[in-house]
Amino acid sequence: MATRNELEVKFISRMLSRLVGEMNAEVCDQCGKCSSACPVSKEIEGFNPRQLIAKVSTGRLNGLLKEDAIWTCTTCLKCRERCPEEISPYDVILILRNLAYRAGYSYPKGYDDFIEGVKESGYVSKPQTVKTRDGGKMSREDMGLPEVAGPEDMGRFRGIVEGIIEAGKSG
Amino acid sequence: MKYALYPGCTVQTDQFGYEASVRETLPNLGVELVDMRGASCCGFPALSSISKVGWHYLSARNLAIAEKMGLAMLPLCNGCHLSFIETMHFLEEDLELRSIINSHLEKEGLMYEGNAKVVHLLEVLHDQVGVDRIRGQVVKPLKGLKIASHPGCHAIRPSDLQKVDDPEDPRKLDDLIKALGAETFDYPEKIDCCGSQLAVASGRTTLKIAGDKLKAVKSYGFEALVTTCPFCFKMYDGRQRAIKGALKDDSLDLPVFYYTQLLGLALGSSPDRLGLQMNMSPVDSIVERITE
Repeated sequence: MATRNELEVKFISRMLSRLVGEMNAEVCDQCGKCSSACPVSKEIEGFNPRQLIAKVSTGRLNGLLKEDAIWTCTTCLKCRERCPEEISPYDVILILRNLAYRAGYSYPKGYDDFIEGVKESGYVSKPQTVKTRDGGKMSREDMGLPEVAGPEDMGRFRGIVEGIIEAGKSG
Repeated sequence: MKYALYPGCTVQTDQFGYEASVRETLPNLGVELVDMRGASCCGFPALSSISKVGWHYLSARNLAIAEKMGLAMLPLCNGCHLSFIETMHFLEEDLELRSIINSHLEKEGLMYEGNAKVVHLLEVLHDQVGVDRIRGQVVKPLKGLKIASHPGCHAIRPSDLQKVDDPEDPRKLDDLIKALGAETFDYPEKIDCCGSQLAVASGRTTLKIAGDKLKAVKSYGFEALVTTCPFCFKMYDGRQRAIKGALKDDSLDLPVFYYTQLLGLALGSSPDRLGLQMNMSPVDSIVERITE
């Protein structure tokens, strides 16, 4: 079990060190283009990609990992697109999420439901019956859409996914 | 033009109007769609947030299936599209990661060779089929309709990994809207995010971000909003009522369509074949205007 978690941490850390290496080479000027483009900074006080990069580049990770803020990024990628120094707050945030999860800190419980769905059918959820505008109901079959076929050997697929994801979870 | 069709979780689970309108319209434009046997979730957004290895495994699994089919893969979701692009990038850059992913894929007789091709629906329609061909096949032009273009974040960014369209001035969806005879014009919020990925962490903020854009779109005189992303569509269409409630603004009524639904209407398909009965926003009067 532990070895698999170590594997995750190894690759997460490798990605983070590569990014931080790039950041050191480029140096964040704290120009704030990331924060001014960020849709979440406008709405949630305490979410600020510019400050986040300042904290990461000075090694103040621990507080960040415990904050809800890292889970509120919409992944719109404007920060990555507009950074004049080619630093990507988006990628840093995804790495912090991975580290927070591995460290056993809180994360949105909705993600567990997604993963349960994947383990059950190969997809986040099974096809639903959906509402029509006039109060009726429709299935894929009603629409003439083909049946959804996930992995052929679900047992084997589930085993692989569990092996990779679940085994590394701490806490 | 032949592609491996990858609808993805969101589309095949409850966005039947998108999948149906893609299957209805693309073959009429000379595009052959082949279903992928044994495909699975791409890993975005849950796995990319908590398990890098798990995320790339799931993405690469689908890429490997498409490679085996010998076809470029056409994901219908912007989120899936970027997920595949990112995985291709990381597995190109990190061969140790690729060999670990392949050791898992092997258990199902799969192998990611690194030759996969992924195309975006906007590229297929705009660059492969072409605006001229679409314009030439229109039988019910969308004359006089003012439609806002919403390409969605993951279709246009990050430009260092993909070049579906210009990251700051995307025009392909606009060109495709005009090909149907409708009008569109630039607006300041065009490349802004719908906020859907925040729903899992903060439902209220999600509605505020989406609502602000809806409000802006209406204020410029647009009569409808068009996208090709199921996350964005669900936000603006399915959750429009919730947005109105959260912003306490009943005037935020805006018809929302998948591009392929409008394309289908313009090409003469019946609204039911395009799944328009499942759009929850008030689309009736526009559908009537086009089909009458």
